[in-house]
Amino acid sequence: MVTDTAAAPATRLAKTGVRRLTPEITTVFEGTFSLLHVGVKGDTLYRGAFAARMFPVRHPDRFISLHYTDAADKEQEIGLIEDLAAFPEEQQALVRQSLGRNYHEKVIQRVYSVRCDFGLLFFDVETQFGREDFVMPWRYDRAEEYGEKGKVLLDSFDNRFVIPNVEALPGPDQQRFTGFIYW
Amino acid sequence: MACRSEFCCVGSFPDSVAAAAAEAGFTEFSGALAACADLQFDGTPGVSWLVLAQGRLAVFRPGVSTPCWGPMELTKVSKVRCFQAVGSAFLQVMVDGLYVMVVRYSNARRELFGRVRIQMERMLAGEEVQAEWVLRPSDWVCGACGLPLPGKGASCPRCSRRHGILLRSLGLMRPYTRYIAGLFTMMVIGVCLDLVPAQLTRLLVDKVLLPREHLDWLPLILLGLVGTSGSRCVLNIFIGRLSSLVGTQVTRELRQRLQAKLVSLSVDYYNRHSVGSLMSRVLYDVDFFHGFVAQVAQGFLLNIMLVAGVGAMLFLMNWRLALLVLLPIPFVIMGTMFFWKRIYPRYYRVWDSQSKMAQLLSGLLSGVRLVKAFGQEQREAERFGENAGYMQTARWRLDAGTATFNPLMGFVFGLGGLIVWLAGGRLVVGDRISLGTLMAFFGYLGMFYAPISALSMFSNWVTGFMSAAQRTFEILDSTATLPVSPNPVRMPTTQGTIEFRDVVFGYDPYTPVLKGVSFRVEAGQFIGIVGKSGSGKTSIVNLICRFYDVQGGQVLLDGVDVRDYAPEDLHRSIGLVLQDPFLFRGTIADNVAYGRPAAEALEIMDAARAANAHDFIARRASAYDTKLGENGAGLSGGERQRISIARALLCDPRILILDEATSSVDTESEQEIQRALAQLCRGRTTLAVAHRLSTLKNADRILVVDEGRIAECGTHDELLALENGIYRNLVRIQTELTRLEV
Repeated sequence: MVTDTAAAPATRLAKTGVRRLTPEITTVFEGTFSLLHVGVKGDTLYRGAFAARMFPVRHPDRFISLHYTDAADKEQEIGLIEDLAAFPEEQQALVRQSLGRNYHEKVIQRVYSVRCDFGLLFFDVETQFGREDFVMPWRYDRAEEYGEKGKVLLDSFDNRFVIPNVEALPGPDQQRFTGFIYW
Repeated sequence: MACRSEFCCVGSFPDSVAAAAAEAGFTEFSGALAACADLQFDGTPGVSWLVLAQGRLAVFRPGVSTPCWGPMELTKVSKVRCFQAVGSAFLQVMVDGLYVMVVRYSNARRELFGRVRIQMERMLAGEEVQAEWVLRPSDWVCGACGLPLPGKGASCPRCSRRHGILLRSLGLMRPYTRYIAGLFTMMVIGVCLDLVPAQLTRLLVDKVLLPREHLDWLPLILLGLVGTSGSRCVLNIFIGRLSSLVGTQVTRELRQRLQAKLVSLSVDYYNRHSVGSLMSRVLYDVDFFHGFVAQVAQGFLLNIMLVAGVGAMLFLMNWRLALLVLLPIPFVIMGTMFFWKRIYPRYYRVWDSQSKMAQLLSGLLSGVRLVKAFGQEQREAERFGENAGYMQTARWRLDAGTATFNPLMGFVFGLGGLIVWLAGGRLVVGDRISLGTLMAFFGYLGMFYAPISALSMFSNWVTGFMSAAQRTFEILDSTATLPVSPNPVRMPTTQGTIEFRDVVFGYDPYTPVLKGVSFRVEAGQFIGIVGKSGSGKTSIVNLICRFYDVQGGQVLLDGVDVRDYAPEDLHRSIGLVLQDPFLFRGTIADNVAYGRPAAEALEIMDAARAANAHDFIARRASAYDTKLGENGAGLSGGERQRISIARALLCDPRILILDEATSSVDTESEQEIQRALAQLCRGRTTLAVAHRLSTLKNADRILVVDEGRIAECGTHDELLALENGIYRNLVRIQTELTRLEV
C-alpha cells in the first residue's frame, strides 16, 4: 500500500505527461534535404524534426526532446527520448547530428589571458577549435553557472563559451579566470 | 551598383566566390546579394557565402568550384526564417512545406542574416534588394574601432574615452573642491606640526639634557611639545569632521544617482539582474565611496605628505643614514605587488558571498509562505547554511591573506629600524652625529615607516574599493535605458487613439514575440485582447506603456510615435491595472494617491468609492490611514485589486490598460471589480487583456493574438460566427469548463 502510494503520483503524471519515444514505437531516419524524419507507430510521420536536450548539463545524452514545425509555423513536440542509448546506433547518430546542429558551444580548455577595459573582459583562450579571442561585458548575467562547478560565458554577441569545470583548469588559468569571474 | 561590407555584398560577389558562382551559372550580378556565414553545418568554423542572384539561391565555399548547397530557384521557396538554435542560428527556407537549412552562422552574424532574411522576403515578393539597408553599419559594434557596444546603438566606451574608476571617483568630489582645498591646507599644516616634536626632542637632548645647560629651556620645549600636540589634535578634529561631511554628501548623492538610474532603467534590465544584488550595491558598495573620501583626505594624501616631509627631514639630518632607512622599501613594494595579485580576487568573492546572501534572504523572506506551505524549512536552512559557509570561507581567506601580509611587513620594517640602530649607534659612538640627532632620527623613522606601511596597505583598501566602484559604475553606465527624444513632443492631454503599425518586437531581439502586428484603436473604444499564454498579449501592453521599444514598426498614440513623447506625458496618459497589483508599504491613502500625491482627501475617497473600495476601507479602524504591510499584506486579493483600480482612477488617464485585472480573484470579488472597472473605463480608451472571455462580451472589438500575430479581429458576435475560429474555440472551451464547474 505504501509502495502504491509512493508510485502513484509518477504513474498518474506519466499518463498525462510527455509522450515517451521508445525504440519500439519510434523510427528516426534521414529524409528529404537530409532532414531528420521521425515516424511514430500509431501516429504520423514527422518531417523536418530536430532534437533538443532537456537537461543539457546534467544529462546531455538522456531526455532528448524531438520537435517539428507544424503547418502554422509553430514548434510542436513529438515526444521525449528518455535514453538515447536504447536506440539503434544509426538512429543515435542521426539524433546526435541533430543535437550538434542545435547546440554550438565552444569549450574553453585554457585561459591564456583576461584583461578588463571599458567594462569589457578581453579573453584569450584555447577551445576545441583552437586559440581565439573574444570580448564579453563584465557583468554578472554574462557568466552563468553551468552545472556544479562550471561556467558558461556569453560574449558580446551571445556566443557561448563553456568551462565545464573551472577547478579543472590549470592553476594559473584558474587564477586568471576567477580574478574576474569570481561569482 | 556594386557595394560591399566585410561580410556582405550587394551587386557584386567577392572574388573568391565570383569564379565558382560563374561556373554555377551566376553571370548577372545586378541586384545580387551575397552574405558570409562563419560556421559549417556540423558547427566547425568555416566560411561559406550565401549567394542570391538571378532568382536563384546557392551557397559556396571559397576556392571550391561547386556550390555546397543549391543552386535552387527562388520560386520553389515559399518562406524564409532565421532559426535560432543554442549559440548559433540557421537561415532556413521553406521548400515543399519543409524548412531546409541553407547556412549556419554564429550569433556574431545574427544581425547580418536578420537583414538578409528581410531582403530575401523582399525578393520573394518581387521587390528590389535595399542595398543601403543591408549594408548599413552594425548597431552592435563601434564603426570606428570595432569594439562591441554595451547595447544596441550605445556609445563606444573606448572612443568616448571613459575615465578610469579612480579618476571618475575623484570626479565625484568636484563639487566639494573648496572643502578638499581646506582639507589639503590643514593636512599640510598638520604634517609641518608632525615634524616639530622630533626637532624639539633633539634640542632637548643635545642642548639641555646631555650638557646639563639651559635648564630654563626645558619648560619652553615642553610647552612647545604640548602646543604642537594640542594643535594637531584640534586640526585632526576639523579634518575628520570635514572629510566625513564630504564623504557623507558624496555617498548621499551617489545613492540618489543610483536610485534615479535604477528607476530609469528599462524593465529588461530587471529581467537580467537580481533585486538582491542591486540592493547590495546601493546599500553597501556605495559606502566604499565614503571610505574613499576619508582615504583621500586622511589616508593616502596625508601619508604621501608625511613620507615626503619626513623623508626630506631625514636626508637633511644625515643622508647616509637616510639611505639605510630606504633599504626595506623594495621588499615592501614586492610584497605589495604580490598581495595585490593574490588578494585582489578574494575581495570579489567576499562581495559575491554578500550579494548571494542578500539574494537568498530576499527570496526566502518574500516567499516565506511558500516555504512553509511546502514544508521546505529544513532545505532552506541547509541552503542558507551553504551560503553562510561560502561567506565565511570567502571572508576567512581574505582575512588570512591580510593577517599574513601585515606582520610580514611589520617584520621588514623592524629590520630597517635595526639597521639604523647599528649604523646610527656607530656614528654616535664615533661622534659623527649627536645622540639628539639619532633620537630625532628614530622619532622620524616611525613617522616614515608608518605611512609607508599604511600606503602598502592602501593597495589592500584600493582593491576593495575598486571592485565596489566597478559594480556601482556598472549601474550608472548601463545603457539599458530607453532613449528619450531630444525634442520630445509635448502632449499635456491626449485623445487616446492607439495604433500599431507593423510592429516587430522580441525580448531577445533575434526572437520576435510580435511579428508584424498592426491594429488601430479609436479614442474611447473598449478593446479586448485574448490569446493563449505566450502569444504576445502582454507584449502589446508593454509596448504601449513603453516599457520596451519596438525592433520594427511603430506604436503611435494620437498619431505620435511613443518614442517621441516626453516620458511624463506618456505615463500620465496611461493607467495600468495589473493582474497582481503592487502596493507599497504605507497607508491605504498613500497607495491610492501614489500617482497623484497632491490629491485631496475627498478625491482619494471618491476614487476609492468609484473602485468599490471605499466600503471595505471604511470598515477598518484606521480607515484610509490603515498602514499596509509588504505588498498590501493584510488585504485580500480583491481588495488589493480595487485599491489599484482606485489608484488608476485618481490619475484620470485617457488610456486604461487592464492586464488580467480580475483573473486572480474569486467570483464575488470579480463582480465587485467588474463594477469598478465599468466606472473606470467610461470615456476612456481601454485595452483589456483577459482570459475570462465573458468580461469582454461588450468590447467594441476583440483582438485575438496568436503566435505574435493578430489572428482574428472583430466583435464578440463576429468572432463567434467564424468557423474554426480561435476565439470561437476558446469560448467553447470556457463554456464547457463553466458547465463542469456548475
